[in-house]
Amino acid sequence: MNTSLRVAVATARLLRTRVTCFVGIGVPSLAAMLAKRLHAPELNLIYESGVIGAHPATPPLSTGSPSVAAGAEMVGRMIDVFGALQDGRIEVGLLSAAQVDRTGNLNSTLVSSAKGQRRLPGSGGALDIALLANELIILMPHEKRRLVEKVDFVTSPGRAATRAHSQRIVTDLGSFAFSESVISLETCYEDVDPAVAAQFGNAVVDHSNAKPIPVPTEEEIRIFKTFADEE
Amino acid sequence: MSKILALDRMVAEHIADGDTIFVGGFGQNVPFAIGAEVIRQKRRNLTLCRTGADILFDLMIAAGAVQKVIVGWIGNPGIGLNHAFTRALASGELELEESSNFSVLLRLMAGGLGIPFVPTRTLTDGDIVKSLPSAQQLQCPFTNEPVIAIQALKPDVAIVHVQRADRFGNLQSWGVLGETAEGVTASRKVIATAEEIVEPEVIRANPGRTFVPGWRVAAVAEVPLGAYPSYCQGYYGRDDDFYRQYDQFSRSADELTCWIKNNVTDTVGWPDFLKTLESDRIRLSTQAPNSSTAARQ
Repeated sequence: MNTSLRVAVATARLLRTRVTCFVGIGVPSLAAMLAKRLHAPELNLIYESGVIGAHPATPPLSTGSPSVAAGAEMVGRMIDVFGALQDGRIEVGLLSAAQVDRTGNLNSTLVSSAKGQRRLPGSGGALDIALLANELIILMPHEKRRLVEKVDFVTSPGRAATRAHSQRIVTDLGSFAFSESVISLETCYEDVDPAVAAQFGNAVVDHSNAKPIPVPTEEEIRIFKTFADEE
Repeated sequence: MSKILALDRMVAEHIADGDTIFVGGFGQNVPFAIGAEVIRQKRRNLTLCRTGADILFDLMIAAGAVQKVIVGWIGNPGIGLNHAFTRALASGELELEESSNFSVLLRLMAGGLGIPFVPTRTLTDGDIVKSLPSAQQLQCPFTNEPVIAIQALKPDVAIVHVQRADRFGNLQSWGVLGETAEGVTASRKVIATAEEIVEPEVIRANPGRTFVPGWRVAAVAEVPLGAYPSYCQGYYGRDDDFYRQYDQFSRSADELTCWIKNNVTDTVGWPDFLKTLESDRIRLSTQAPNSSTAARQ
């Protein structure tokens, strides 16, 4: 709960109202739901199943879940939302994955370990969102096995291949941003040592300009708990 | 001419070994009853395609019906992996063409438009496109910019579940459709199950709800709960517990084989399968919050 909460809060604070946002399942949905209930009531949530202007009451299990469709402003077709994405009309894409590296490459296909390769469900819309959203926010727990030196498989290509004008990686410790293709720590939760938040793969990235951000407020935590499960 | 057929006859007449099948539904209306009948009739060497595939694919793979899948995503939504799929892939029994959801959607759209490919801006980079025969780089003849050409896909038959249909095969569905319309349009033939067969007047009173016209449909069967354990907006909710239990018993190949034998192969048909479930559960799932009166129109 604490990890998801901190990732969701740091992400929600980046989402402005009246922005159109392509949302993935999991923590991306939690962050978007939180922002909508706090400072961004007109945040336009779009799910790949074709739902536009979603108002999920409970965190959806899949983009086709009843909670995505119920109470939405439009249940369209998949081509409506992917067409808008390709046409450059989606302002922010929210994604998670199994692994990310310092070039922004994402892996949601397979991970290798000493025990062999482990298959994952694959891209879904992630590859399309990563390549085609105008701004990209990647949500990741700050774990060694996730913030890696080199991803085991490039499902969604990173900074150099995307057309996003900005790309961030938000963790439960802080957030990374790119200047050109160089990654640095942009923000850091005030209860975390920036040198720890800046650990990424085998390196500690530049954290000299990391801005401290407040820990989740009582109000943020209270609202989050109204829809997110205790873990 | 009436297009109404019993489920078993519909599958016997319209699905052959080796067919490429588009599987409709997205979250809701996953055609489990048709899939179970395909397993019961022991079809082999099928290719299954759709954007995001759920546990119906896994059941059909476990039953030995499937040779290849074409998908953008395959798993147990919100829960995790498809275990029979993972085993079949590791053993080399199953062929996988994996891309992204938008890519599969575009393949189907091109198929439905009767053209060999469509240009797109996705799939420009990454590891997926490196080994994807259905995507090739192309120069736009108008702007000279590089685009990706993605090849049309024309399935032999689409299998779908809908809320209601009439005897002429007109299919009405509402709620989340995903890419079901595009998949149906691309397919040479369409077969469907419906919660209800209604009078043509009911269909014609609300023609905007028809998403597949009868002239494209080969056959339709009335099968209440034909999308169970997925949901059908206005009729019943999703049985999330079934998906969780499936994740557990499908971890063992033996347990899954046994489950398929007891609940699919050795049963007479779909209503028989439903009887094997606790009656509580279906009642419960039919009363889920999404089957609100507002949703049923």
